[in-house]
Amino acid sequence: MKGWFATARLNYGQKLFLLATLPLIVTAVAISVVVTLQSRQMAEREIETLEAQLIAAKRAELRNYISIARTAFVNIYGRAAPDDEEAMEQVSQILAAMLYGQDGYFFVFDYNGTNLVSPRRTELIGRNWTGLEDASGVPVTDELIRLARSGGGYHSFIWPRPSTGERSQMVAYVIGLQDWRWAIGTGVFIDDVTAAVAASRQQVETRVQRTFFFIGGATILALVFVFVTGLFITIRERRLADAKLKRLTQRVFDAQEEERGRVARELHDGISQILVGVRYALETARRRLATGDARAGDTLDRGAAHLSTAIQEVRRISRDLRPGALDDLGLGPALKALSEDFDRRTGIATEFDTVVFRNRLDDEAKIALYRVAQEALTNIERHSGATRVHIDLRGHAGGGTLRITDNGCGIDASRAGAGGGLGLRNMQERVEQIDGQLAIRSSVDGTEIEATVPLTHLLTPQGQSETVPETKRATA
Amino acid sequence: MTRSPTRVVIVDDHPMVTEGIQSILESYVDVEVIAALACGQAIIDRVGELAPDVVLLDLNMPGIGGLSTTEILLERRPGTRVLILSMHDSPEYIASALSHGASGYVLKDVPVDEIKRAIDAVMAGQRYLCTGAQGSLAPFSAPEREQLTNREQTILLLLAQGKSNKEVAVALDISVRTVETHRKNIKRKLGISSTAGLTRYALEHGVLQGTGVRI
Repeated sequence: MKGWFATARLNYGQKLFLLATLPLIVTAVAISVVVTLQSRQMAEREIETLEAQLIAAKRAELRNYISIARTAFVNIYGRAAPDDEEAMEQVSQILAAMLYGQDGYFFVFDYNGTNLVSPRRTELIGRNWTGLEDASGVPVTDELIRLARSGGGYHSFIWPRPSTGERSQMVAYVIGLQDWRWAIGTGVFIDDVTAAVAASRQQVETRVQRTFFFIGGATILALVFVFVTGLFITIRERRLADAKLKRLTQRVFDAQEEERGRVARELHDGISQILVGVRYALETARRRLATGDARAGDTLDRGAAHLSTAIQEVRRISRDLRPGALDDLGLGPALKALSEDFDRRTGIATEFDTVVFRNRLDDEAKIALYRVAQEALTNIERHSGATRVHIDLRGHAGGGTLRITDNGCGIDASRAGAGGGLGLRNMQERVEQIDGQLAIRSSVDGTEIEATVPLTHLLTPQGQSETVPETKRATA
Repeated sequence: MTRSPTRVVIVDDHPMVTEGIQSILESYVDVEVIAALACGQAIIDRVGELAPDVVLLDLNMPGIGGLSTTEILLERRPGTRVLILSMHDSPEYIASALSHGASGYVLKDVPVDEIKRAIDAVMAGQRYLCTGAQGSLAPFSAPEREQLTNREQTILLLLAQGKSNKEVAVALDISVRTVETHRKNIKRKLGISSTAGLTRYALEHGVLQGTGVRI
């Protein structure tokens, strides 16, 4: 069972496909079963009614024949005494002469079971048929005589057709002449009824089958439709995702190239030029030392001053690329430096608040939140017209949250879609990358950006293991 | 009156910097460089044996960084003066260095005699904050609310996990008295008076729940 579960692990697409098709199949099967059962039941009732009607018609016919026969002999029988041999002979002859249809005739047994009249099969006459049974074991003569004794009734049994000798179901009607102890009856074959019923049954079966095929066909069509649509959507989604990935990769490359270009320019235009200046100064100083020029010391001082400028330049570029405080001191101090810098540079009053803990976030989360703050401050400076910004960073039982609020004009929805939205999208992607959540609440009274990182990105404070590196950066 | 020279240890993972500072300091008679080490663990291990007056300590080092080294160093040998050497000139660095117990903070790219001035100042019991090339370091205002140091965070976690002072002392290889001092400082910084309060505070701020690194 466990193994089955293990192998039956489905991917998302397969689950979705099952979800779409399984109810369909179940419904189709249920409908088929119900429809089949119901139509069979209904048809059976109809067929029974039909059979009953046909049999009733046959019985009425039989009664008619008997009543005609009775009319023919009733005068003779009425006048005769119980042992009037002549009258009996007369009635026998009348009955033997009354043939109708292809196989219709009248028969007479006396109550002892001896056949007296059987015009189509004369070989039966004069013999005793007590205990006669038909092909399926139904008593024939005994039952007919019993019915006759009790006044009359119908009996059904299998009997050979006089015309062809073929055995068929027959319905017989007998009456009793109690004075003579005679059972007079006639029978008709009811093959036509059986055939009609069988035909109806066949018809019903065909109809049920047709319905069944129809439902099955519709189900298969629906399944094929779901399958093909699913396939189509999957292919389309994959193509879209590929295109999106390609665009994203392109954007990453673009950003990388742009950044490299900028750093290269700064190194070349800034630091290189300053260092060249230092070299000139050193060479001049050497020449002046060689010639005993007293200004050699001044030249060296100038070179040292140039070097200081170069060091500051490197520090600035390095900090722009990635603030060292983020790695060395943690996000709190880095954000504090960022907000103080922002305050100084833009004149927008910026406050930073945090709890007393430091270095609680892992590298991914630190840099993501830092970039979110940077992006938010850039947006505030460019678009919001805010005069006050509040940055708040704190850890809590659910993770860590960075909140940046301003009192500016809010984010213009129309602008957010275009160029301005790129910053928001960057933030979103940054935060999603670390399984965090970004909430942006904006109104005309200001904007609040809230980035939350999950607990998995929170470190416990550095522990007993004192080899935990505070920073892995080798540069000082 | 002759005073014995100030015993100085230089700790920096960049040999060029170590050598440079050493050669500068050699020109002063009242300073003796007794050792130049390349990492924080080395000075922690040897601080007792070397018994330096001043440790010049690089802030960014592989292994234990300068801040944690400062704290542990001072636990081992409380009288030592630590002068942090750094390339970073932002106030946050200086604030962090001081809160971890450093006596001074010097930028590496200052004029040569400033390092000597810093050594003299801390030996005289003063705090020395480098004026810096830009002068951006000069007026340093203490932060409104003191942050916990790395060591204090570690101890807070251990206490919040229900460990006693003694157990914490054993775990960190420090004296019970030192733990008590840290504990007092933590309570003061957080404004909390009871151990239960510390645990609750740690819980509320996600200190106990962090899953990134298990101790």
